[in-house]
Amino acid sequence: MPDETPGPLTETVFYVLLALHTPLHGYGVMKYVNEISDGRIALGAGTLYGALTTLAEKGWIASVPGSAGERKKNYVVTDEGRSIVLAELKRLDELVRNGQRVIREESK
Amino acid sequence: MSAKTIHKLYWDFEKEERWLNDMSAQGLNLVHYSWGTYTFETGPAGEWIYRLELLPGDVRDPKSQKYLEFMSEVGVQAVATYMRWVYFRRPAVDGPFEVFSDLDSRVAHYQRILTMFASITAALVPLTVVNVVNMTRSGSSLAFVLPLFAVYLALVATLATQTIRVWWRVRELREQKRVCE
Repeated sequence: MPDETPGPLTETVFYVLLALHTPLHGYGVMKYVNEISDGRIALGAGTLYGALTTLAEKGWIASVPGSAGERKKNYVVTDEGRSIVLAELKRLDELVRNGQRVIREESK
Repeated sequence: MSAKTIHKLYWDFEKEERWLNDMSAQGLNLVHYSWGTYTFETGPAGEWIYRLELLPGDVRDPKSQKYLEFMSEVGVQAVATYMRWVYFRRPAVDGPFEVFSDLDSRVAHYQRILTMFASITAALVPLTVVNVVNMTRSGSSLAFVLPLFAVYLALVATLATQTIRVWWRVRELREQKRVCE
């Protein structure tokens, strides 16, 4: 488990890690991220491939065998990946809380 | 399905991409490319969206092959490859198609193109000088050397222009990256 957070995650990395809380293959990740962002994010296939490769190298995700007869590689988040997401959520939560507080004080 | 061949040379991959998508909008779909020769097949208008990418390595490298395999798994076809360039397409019904969706990966792609143009330009300059000097020394007539020199010069100028254009694009994106992701 990492002692410290690696710093703010990119949107691509954050959403890929979220998507992989269920094992998915590349196309599944693209579809999932597009759906939970209400169509705002259409992950480019090249961008996604780069993210999957880097995250697997870092050990934040791992490849798992696909269902029987499937050749496609599936990925799933690791324990380390999960703790990274949790740390990032804490950071994002702080951003949102501070943002809302300042905006609310301003509109008083 | 009839075929059509067009000879054309592009330095700017984004212009090339636009042209291929204009062709596709008219129902002419790229199916093959080699040495400035584009082969099209006729099909329903606007069936495909085309995108070009310069790979980090040779197309036949295992790394590139793994990447192309991934692309086909997510519904992206590689219709043609040429040196390190790949011509991708995806059905338009699958929605807007981009290979790169964030600043980081777009910068990395332009950076690859910049390195390629810069190294060709850098290699061509001494080649031009050596060739012209050698020919002048060996007593070739100016009537022969001058036009050749002009051709070399035009080539260097074109490549240098492309290098600067892509360098500018990288700079713009990096500038944007200082405040955005």
